[in-house]
Amino acid sequence: MSDTSFDSASAGAGIDLSQFYSVFFEEAGENLARMEQLLLAIDVSAADDEELNAIFRCAHSIKGGAATFGFADVAELTHQMETLLDKLRRHELQPTAAMVDVLLQSGDALSSQLARHQGAGGEPIDTSELLGRIRAFVRGDAAAAAPAPASAPAPACPAPVAAETHDDVPVTLSGERILELVLGPLERAELADSVIELFKEIEGLGTIQAVDGGMAQDGLRRFKLTTGSSDSDLLDLFGFHVAREQVTLRPWSGERVSPGYGFHAGAPGSPIQEEDPGYGFFEAAPGAPGGERAAEAAPSAAHPAAAAEAPRASAAAKTEAKAGSAASLEAATIRVPVEKVDQLINLMGELVITQAMLAQNSRSIDPVLYQSLVSGLTALDRNTRDLQEAVMSIRMIPMQTVFSRFPRMLRDLASKLGKKVELVTQGEATELDKGLVEKITDPLTHLVRNSCDHGIESPAERCARGKPETGTITLAASHQGGSIVIEVRDDGKGLSREKLLRKARERGLHAPDSLSDGEVWNLIFEPGFSTAEVVTDVSGRGVGMDVVKKNIAALGGTVEIDSAEGHGMRVAVRLPLTLAIMDGMSVGVCEEVYILPLSSVVESFQVGENSVKTIGGSGRVVEVRDEYMPVIDLEEVFQVPRFDFEHVSNILVVIEAEGGRVAVLVDELLGQQQVVVKNLETNYRKVPGISAATWST
Amino acid sequence: MHSILAVDDSASMRQMVSFTLKSAGYAVTEAVDGQDAWEKAGGKHFDLVLTDQNMPLLDGIGLTRKLRGHPQFKNTPILILTTESSDQMKQAGRAAGATGWLVKPFDPAKLIEVIRKVIR
Repeated sequence: MSDTSFDSASAGAGIDLSQFYSVFFEEAGENLARMEQLLLAIDVSAADDEELNAIFRCAHSIKGGAATFGFADVAELTHQMETLLDKLRRHELQPTAAMVDVLLQSGDALSSQLARHQGAGGEPIDTSELLGRIRAFVRGDAAAAAPAPASAPAPACPAPVAAETHDDVPVTLSGERILELVLGPLERAELADSVIELFKEIEGLGTIQAVDGGMAQDGLRRFKLTTGSSDSDLLDLFGFHVAREQVTLRPWSGERVSPGYGFHAGAPGSPIQEEDPGYGFFEAAPGAPGGERAAEAAPSAAHPAAAAEAPRASAAAKTEAKAGSAASLEAATIRVPVEKVDQLINLMGELVITQAMLAQNSRSIDPVLYQSLVSGLTALDRNTRDLQEAVMSIRMIPMQTVFSRFPRMLRDLASKLGKKVELVTQGEATELDKGLVEKITDPLTHLVRNSCDHGIESPAERCARGKPETGTITLAASHQGGSIVIEVRDDGKGLSREKLLRKARERGLHAPDSLSDGEVWNLIFEPGFSTAEVVTDVSGRGVGMDVVKKNIAALGGTVEIDSAEGHGMRVAVRLPLTLAIMDGMSVGVCEEVYILPLSSVVESFQVGENSVKTIGGSGRVVEVRDEYMPVIDLEEVFQVPRFDFEHVSNILVVIEAEGGRVAVLVDELLGQQQVVVKNLETNYRKVPGISAATWST
Repeated sequence: MHSILAVDDSASMRQMVSFTLKSAGYAVTEAVDGQDAWEKAGGKHFDLVLTDQNMPLLDGIGLTRKLRGHPQFKNTPILILTTESSDQMKQAGRAAGATGWLVKPFDPAKLIEVIRKVIR
């Protein structure tokens, strides 16, 4: 339990705890994520000790930091979670799915609390219901732990940490708060006894219990209160007997109210056997300063004096120590604004252009005469490439960051729909540009939701069809050529051709039986098309797939569907690796130069006579190793003026894109080069057939 | 300058403790868990070991036991930081040979106060 009363004292110690906040928030975030991951993975019927311990440690770690840095609401919630988890890891309680639920929800609440403390603002998070449920589990009352609103009186929702109210107060089962009352320093310790009398006299005030055995070494008397009264009422009451400034009320922090440390008498280094200072030394333990019991007793008993001494010394040492220790604060990550990274990438682009220009101009240089210049340029070429790769990788983040949100979402969704679903993720390490990652999350969420809602059948239905009760949704990311492919697969009921066609006709869409399967599947991308027989609140009301497709198209991507009725379906999202710089193959057509993305170039060859055949009057195809593919004549497509009528295009470049191959007819291959791509649509206007422009010598 | 081995798996706690100790003029070696501390302790002199209890790999009590078993740390003060102030915890610490305990959360002044009692 937290005792935040030292918030102000810490300033006195010359140390500003807020300097550690950001580390704490980062660490707490990591712990929360890990806890969620572990909770989702846990098998309640056979929970692994190590897993339970690991979950416990996450809560424990957050609690320790929160209490230390003064985030009382976080400390209170984690404390309750820790209590429950401790019982679980000690096998005093058996884990249940309901417990996992409440722990997951607590994790969410913690996230919100932490976000609030980080300045996100908003109302204090009301965790009273969660706390009540956890406590019910702890005392083995599963019924009361059910997520019913206000099952037990619970503490008021947390208030800002700095406030006077105690929001992390332990509470008895009947809803009374347990507080620690410290009186003093008092001139006469007996004054405190009148406070005890108060509790005897006033019925319903609660109970009071001296925890220091009536002894007051330091002039402070300590009590444990159990009361239903508010702080201000209590303070008013006590004010009759003791001066207001001599009264300290704070949350009860454990059986032993103590300064928080102790020595084991006789332990090595133990100063004395100090009963009760909240720390302790063991007698005869190594290092316990036991030998000087008498000598040390005096200063240590006088807490105020000792405490006053510490800040002075530490403040003096602070200035010199600060520089060194700040440097030693290891930073595993640094946060920089995205604009800075983008600026870096832009500059990188300019550098690539300059380098390409130098490379081009230096071709005419005699390599023998200017050997060192040429080798320098070669090194520049290599270094530029490496640098570019490194710079681009800054913006790349693993798909894991997107995938990690799905286990939780799917779990909640499945339980809401009464389905059993397992999520399998593949290729989490596949990296994608940060900008794309942010934009792909929503469409992917929609697809996964669809799979769970419309794809996966209910357990009963699955059993009836001879499928495993638990459905599987697979999220897979991989690189394929110049694009990244993210697949959402499920082993659910798949799409029904008949149903889709019927639906399409009902909506007045042109849907003849002659449509290929692929064309039928694509019908679900039509606006307002929903195949769900019952519209659920999960997958929306028919707005969806068309939006998904539109969003993905906006990213320059495509969506493909495969489906086998009764066996499941697969939606593949294909995205370009948005690289502002790409490797291109420049090809010449008459006087003009075009650049093909190198990643989509499969091969190139000179066309033999008669190998290009004309079919159906207009289309031309070429046979490449038993495969016919359409021929695209760039001269024709772009209507390139040709002045030299003797010359004809006779080189074919086979390119692959979106699962298909075509052969592009060009005059000559000019070479490979890196190009900085500027989007034409944003900078000029959309030009059919051309995705971007670059500048070249 | 007295040297202290500070062991905590939580980076924020470690930094806070380390900063506090350094500000008070101690030399600090940080370790991220008991195992790490055990490795860092080897062949070095420390005037005090300050360790968290609950850590992965090797906890505070386990570390204490290990250190006490080594001649070099036979008499070194070892303090265990713990949010569990139960007697059970303390007794386990005592049995392992710990010098004392300090209940988390604590404020920097308290930490220095306690350390001054064992390092003279």
